Amino acid sequence: MNISEYISSGILEAYVLGELAPHERADVEKNLAQYAELRQELALIEEAQEKLFLQTAIAPPATAKAQLLERINGAQRGKVVQLQPDRSLRAWKLAVAASVAIALIASYLAYDYRTKWKSTASDLSTLIAQNQRIAQDYGQVNQRMDRIERDMKVMNNPEFKRVMMKGTGNAPDAMTYVYWNEASREVYLSIQRMRSLARDNQYQLWAIIDGKPVDAGMFDGNEEGLIKMKDIGKGATTFAVTVEPKGGKSSPSLETMQTAGNVEKG
Amino acid sequence: MKARDQSALEYLYDRYSAALYGVIFRVVKKEAIAEEVLQDVFVRIWDRFNSYDPVKGKLFTWMLNIARNQAIDKTRSREISKEQKTGGIENVVSRIDSETYVEQPIEGLGVRDVLKGLPQEQKFVVEQLYFQGYTQSELAEEFNIPLGTVKTRLRLAMQQLRSSLGVK
Repeated sequence: MNISEYISSGILEAYVLGELAPHERADVEKNLAQYAELRQELALIEEAQEKLFLQTAIAPPATAKAQLLERINGAQRGKVVQLQPDRSLRAWKLAVAASVAIALIASYLAYDYRTKWKSTASDLSTLIAQNQRIAQDYGQVNQRMDRIERDMKVMNNPEFKRVMMKGTGNAPDAMTYVYWNEASREVYLSIQRMRSLARDNQYQLWAIIDGKPVDAGMFDGNEEGLIKMKDIGKGATTFAVTVEPKGGKSSPSLETMQTAGNVEKG
Repeated sequence: MKARDQSALEYLYDRYSAALYGVIFRVVKKEAIAEEVLQDVFVRIWDRFNSYDPVKGKLFTWMLNIARNQAIDKTRSREISKEQKTGGIENVVSRIDSETYVEQPIEGLGVRDVLKGLPQEQKFVVEQLYFQGYTQSELAEEFNIPLGTVKTRLRLAMQQLRSSLGVK
């Protein structure tokens, strides 16, 4: 169908005026149902018509309204008996309409509340998770603080001797420090620069006492701060680090020595 | 309204009675009769409200058609009863009356103003159909215009009026 031709024939205006024969009317209604363009045009036609009559309106005599209402009320009073079945039917229809409306509203509200509840529940679990993460972070920071405080105490304690251990030919860039308290026998190690090791290797710290290497414990290359090592006996003269299989050995593989440094006298 | 809510009827009356009265008055041309027809129209709206189908058109369109038809029916029944009572000469006079009337200005405010921009033949069609109570086929027959032309003229006129009426 050519829609613009159909529209410009003026058939919609005739339809709006109620001037079509029943079969023409049915045709127009069928086309309206089918074409959105026709429905839009119809709406414009009706709007123009309504505005034309609103603009050319003439106020009716003021008495007309009261008379009309009286007529309607009188008619209702007069028709009470006759209207009875109609009324109960209408009441029944109303009851059905009301219950359908209530059911619709209730299910909408239920759906709405459920949606809100679900989003609240998910907000809550997000918050709980965030809270846990913050608590974890706080715990970690706290631990770090504790460790730094302990490290500071060690480093500031004059009883600890600091031994600088420089890289050997195996690892010229490597550097470690040992903090050693001869009186309490405690040993701490601090890594400045050490390369990371293969998975099944570890560094091992040795103290040379009376010319013999004494095991002072194992460490990995990536640890931060002061690493608590094994206590050692008095009279260490030199500290050295070697690369050993994980868990360490009882005597050092000297050919793998990474860093070494002598304890300053006095 | 469907629950016979009187306040809904009053709302419709307050909003639309003047527009409908304008239509009715211009067709029946006598205040007392126009008032009576207006009441008949609203009683009919009240009684038949259940048959209004919003899918088929605006409420105003539905009410307008009730008003227009009631007004047209009223003038016809008057003419017929007049004819039956007095016959012959009276009938001729009444026909002359209705012909000269066409040339007279339409009562009420605004119609001339609203239609003034239209070409003469379109203005005539709108006046006759909307303000004089002619149906399209009556107009075609009486003034010897093809029915299709009546339709397209109304179409062109209303389309042209849209902007001055404030229709988007």
